[in-house]
Amino acid sequence: MHILIVEDETSLATELMHFLAQEHYQCDWASNGREASEKIAVNRYDFILLDLGLPDSDGLDLLQEIKAVDNDPAIIILTARGALEDRIKGLGLGADDYLAKPFSLLELEARMQAVLRRKFKLTSSSVAFHGFEMDSSARRVTFGPQEISLTKKEFDLLHYLLLHKNRILTRLQLTEHIWGNILEDDYDSNYIDVHIKNVRKKLSTHASTDWLETVRGVGYRLTI
Amino acid sequence: MRLQSKLTLFSAASKVIIFLVILLLLPTLVNKVALLNADNRLLQKEERMYQIIEDQGIESFITGETGNAYGSYNLFREEFISLEEISSGKVVNSIENSLRKVDNAVVEYRVLSSTFDLGGKRYLLEIGRSLDTIGDNSKMLQTYALYFLLGVVLITIFVDQAYNKLLLRPLTLIVKRLQRVEHPSAFTPKELNTNTTDFLYLNNTINAMMGQIQEAFQKEKEFIGNVSHELLTPISILQNRLENLLSDPETPETLLEKLVDNLRTLHRLKNIIQALLLISRIENEQYLKNEAVNIPQLAREVAEEIEERAEAREVSLHLDLTGDFTLANANQSLLFTLLFNVVNNAIKYNKPQGSITIKGEPTATGYELSIIDTGVGIAEDQLPHIFSRFKRFHAPDGESHGLGLPIVNTIATFHGIDVSVTSVKDQGTTFKFQFPVQG
Repeated sequence: MHILIVEDETSLATELMHFLAQEHYQCDWASNGREASEKIAVNRYDFILLDLGLPDSDGLDLLQEIKAVDNDPAIIILTARGALEDRIKGLGLGADDYLAKPFSLLELEARMQAVLRRKFKLTSSSVAFHGFEMDSSARRVTFGPQEISLTKKEFDLLHYLLLHKNRILTRLQLTEHIWGNILEDDYDSNYIDVHIKNVRKKLSTHASTDWLETVRGVGYRLTI
Repeated sequence: MRLQSKLTLFSAASKVIIFLVILLLLPTLVNKVALLNADNRLLQKEERMYQIIEDQGIESFITGETGNAYGSYNLFREEFISLEEISSGKVVNSIENSLRKVDNAVVEYRVLSSTFDLGGKRYLLEIGRSLDTIGDNSKMLQTYALYFLLGVVLITIFVDQAYNKLLLRPLTLIVKRLQRVEHPSAFTPKELNTNTTDFLYLNNTINAMMGQIQEAFQKEKEFIGNVSHELLTPISILQNRLENLLSDPETPETLLEKLVDNLRTLHRLKNIIQALLLISRIENEQYLKNEAVNIPQLAREVAEEIEERAEAREVSLHLDLTGDFTLANANQSLLFTLLFNVVNNAIKYNKPQGSITIKGEPTATGYELSIIDTGVGIAEDQLPHIFSRFKRFHAPDGESHGLGLPIVNTIATFHGIDVSVTSVKDQGTTFKFQFPVQG
């Protein structure tokens, strides 16, 4: 998958590219509007991560330019300008999603996958793991013929862990994912522990849940 | 009270006072004038009398038949003339009131008395005019004067009112123009069509001031935009760098915990900036209020969203919502944040096995939503400051940035919601929200 990162901050672009390369994405980087225009004209991108605050042009203008090209890449806007009108304008101009800075890389990848699923209308999203099966479009977890009843948040938690399998996820990353960007005075990691405990309890009646590891002092990891 | 009404009232009051003063003084004045007039007349009569005596001689009045006195009353007893011979030592020259008996009736007269010598004898001439006649005249004079004054007062009051209205029209225009401005950015400076320099000065001053305010608002907006970019982008870089390190298989396990600690600190920093930006954006009216929000339904949604957190803390959550209420001009996500923050606090600062009740009921002025908890409570001396973003309260876990309640307050103010808090230490806190009926 070929991705263009349009971002004027070198460090941020570097971290993004580092992460995406690890996830086996092919990345290009444009640090300003002019460079981005050239790259869009020459290459065919599947995905464009677009920062709105560019030094030489408005990201929203660039967005219109991207929409005019043939292959119609998926676009996620990355911006520190969290103002409502920017968000409405960006989505109105054809962006597929919107992430306000600072964002978690895992959140970005989850969003990218969701955008791609929508874009390619992928509905069969069943994943099998350790005898269980998760259907993310039907939001169901089954063990053989038996369905395991999980609450919305428990399902989201398990789905996110599965999406980022074999990776340590911090309680903070999990909290931000399942609670969204509700602005809290502080976050309480205890809630995640309670959810994980409940998930383990529900699944362990069918099979062992050793694969759902607790990484002491850090978070959790789902290993496959 | 409006300036125009005040001016009209003052002009009317001052005129009425002048009118009353004149009313009080008028009888005395008119009487005095009438008396003076009567005295003049008597003096004229005296003059004529002397003329007649000089022409015709005293004998035409005082004859052998009449003895040494002459008296004449006219038919209406208005005036009388008396002439009599007196002892030569007495000299009289006066005008005064005196009672005279005429046809068995006692009548008060204004009497001119004067002595003169003729043919070696001294005579006393008295000319009198009935005071009743003088009084009648003065009464008539008073009545006419009163009508005239009343007329003048009424006419001037109406004229004053009309003139005040005309004079103050530019001021009314300025006030109306300002009333129409809901936010300084919506103000457009306009010329004022008047030749009253004070109003022109006022209008120009307001135009200039609003211009400055607009500029300040614009600058603040730009500042917020810049701050968010300048601060959030480096935080984003740091967060992504730490996450990359965290997911790197080569990172030693001993480092992982430190990375998580750093991520937590970064998260706190991010939350503070976002909270400040949120407050600032709301205060700058950068949020729209274009949704109709059903309050009991919103309370149910918040309860549903937060239920698991309450369960995790072994706190029971009760809903007691009666009636229905929709806030017409509102922002759903902001109101959600408001209730979420308050209920979340109620969970966090509750006691094990404690409870939270979300109670809603219609009131005469709208809808009242109360969030009642059985938590640790807020100390009495802290209660007045809980909404202040400049007073910091450290939560028991030391993690709170202390901006949760200022956000609640800002959102409430933005929607015109009245908030009140009562709390008893170690017993619990109640947050009451009065949602207004919007006209």
